[in-house]
Amino acid sequence: MIEPKLGRAARGAVMTMMLCCGAHALPARAGDAGAGADVFKQECAECHTTRQGHNKKGPSLFGIVGRHAGSIADYSYSDALKNADWVWTEDKLHWYLSQPAKQANPGTKMKYPGLDDARQLDDLIAYLQSNH
Amino acid sequence: MPSALTRHWPLCAACALVAALLMMAGNSAHAVPAYARQTGSACADCHAGAYGPALTPYGMRFKLNGYTDTDGQGTKIPVAAQLIGTRTVPERGDNTTQLTEADIYLAGRISDHLGGFVKVETDNNGKDQFSTKLSNLDLRFVAKDLKIAGKDAVIGVSVNNSPGFDDPIAALPNASTLGPPAISGTLLNLSSPNSLYNRVIGGGVYALYDDNWYGEIGSYNAMPTSVQDHLGYNVSGDPGKLSDTGYFRFAYMKDMKRQFFSAGLVALTTRRQLPRNARSDDITDLGYDLTYQFLGNREHIVQVSYVNILEQRDYGSAPTINGLVAKSHGDAHDRTLSVTYTFKQSYALQVAHLVSTGTQDPARYPPYGKPDSTANLISLYWTPFGKDDSFTSKANLKIAATWFRFTRFNGVSDNIFGAPPGALMTQAKDLDAFTLSASVAF
Repeated sequence: MIEPKLGRAARGAVMTMMLCCGAHALPARAGDAGAGADVFKQECAECHTTRQGHNKKGPSLFGIVGRHAGSIADYSYSDALKNADWVWTEDKLHWYLSQPAKQANPGTKMKYPGLDDARQLDDLIAYLQSNH
Repeated sequence: MPSALTRHWPLCAACALVAALLMMAGNSAHAVPAYARQTGSACADCHAGAYGPALTPYGMRFKLNGYTDTDGQGTKIPVAAQLIGTRTVPERGDNTTQLTEADIYLAGRISDHLGGFVKVETDNNGKDQFSTKLSNLDLRFVAKDLKIAGKDAVIGVSVNNSPGFDDPIAALPNASTLGPPAISGTLLNLSSPNSLYNRVIGGGVYALYDDNWYGEIGSYNAMPTSVQDHLGYNVSGDPGKLSDTGYFRFAYMKDMKRQFFSAGLVALTTRRQLPRNARSDDITDLGYDLTYQFLGNREHIVQVSYVNILEQRDYGSAPTINGLVAKSHGDAHDRTLSVTYTFKQSYALQVAHLVSTGTQDPARYPPYGKPDSTANLISLYWTPFGKDDSFTSKANLKIAATWFRFTRFNGVSDNIFGAPPGALMTQAKDLDAFTLSASVAF
């Protein structure tokens, strides 16, 4: 009975470490950040940059991995994303970007149909993770 | 009374047309820095070559959304400016180097549903005397993020001064500012004599359904000559009095991120009195356009467009000119093929083939009775800024070398104005011109 509790505590500690360390210390997916830069230009760059503090129609994605959703102070988020109580981990980004944005987060301003190429998605997330 | 279409084109008029074409084709800035400041986007997000006017799919969406998209970081001043200096080297005539154009743009969002594009243009008439005119106008009301039958939809209203200028695909002549230099061109071609470009007022209702299907229906009226005069236009270019005018547009467009294609139909029908006391000509333009873009990762971009517009005319009168009776019916046919390659969103080569033909009519089109012309535009340009990673993404510079060449005018290549033996003859190639220009937009 005790061991499982300790296990959950350990997993919680690891999760906390991942968040505190920006998650980039533990690459969970074998994406190619170089190839991901191209995917970013193709899929994201019209609405987002990876420059710190530079918002476009969408918020800056600098340091997105490990950041809490809706947390850039000077960006005007939709209520849907402001109220989204999650952290952009690699897994969360994978979940979010693999489907239409309005399906993942109903009410969001983001118009994105989703990226259905798993390899490109891994590469993109690797690129996003490298920008911090 | 002979219409303006029966006029004989002297060399100076032809050269003026070429100069105007070079100005429009080589230097038109639709990558308005005020939009970049409003959206936080770079010029290159909306324009492959970071200066325009050709739009990327993202730029098309911005236009469809009524120029209202924003980065949400407060109100930005919706003003921008452009200066153009040009060295012109015509095949025949004197070389000139001068400040050719200074523009002010009022461009941006008024609210989440209202936005616009207004260009006030000051041109150098060649002797360092400047004249100012209201150039392009496009004011929009738009309802975004609608759902119709479960699909995304945008519905808007555009008030503008050139049929087709508001088109999102922007391949039609009044939007691309590229049309064949015409002796008898179509009404939808800005390079036709007495064209509608910037001299009419009207607009229409448009809708985009399911991101792919675009439709527009509208109407236009010619501005009174007194208004044209007040807005800075020479009344000799009056498009005439228009009535019963309808404009229709339908297009399918598909954005696949790395590629884009579109196929569209356009129609314009009107009754035109030119001059305004003449009898009405019944005029119908019907055209189609095809475009393709390879965008990839934006390192190598290729944009191809083809526009084909046929105009049918039933003339209100068939005058006798120099002993020849003019035909009561006629066609005009304009075709434009343009291919642009852009490297790193900074270096571009555009090649365009421009053809205008029409019904043979010895009375209306002296000296040969043929209104046919063929021309090419070849432009090489460099736009160092306007990208996310450039010195500035909110302003730009364009250095362009443009060659405009004619291979046919008045239906022939040699002695295009039918000079008698012994007189100075003009060849089609004498209309050629080369320009070097520097444009800065901020």
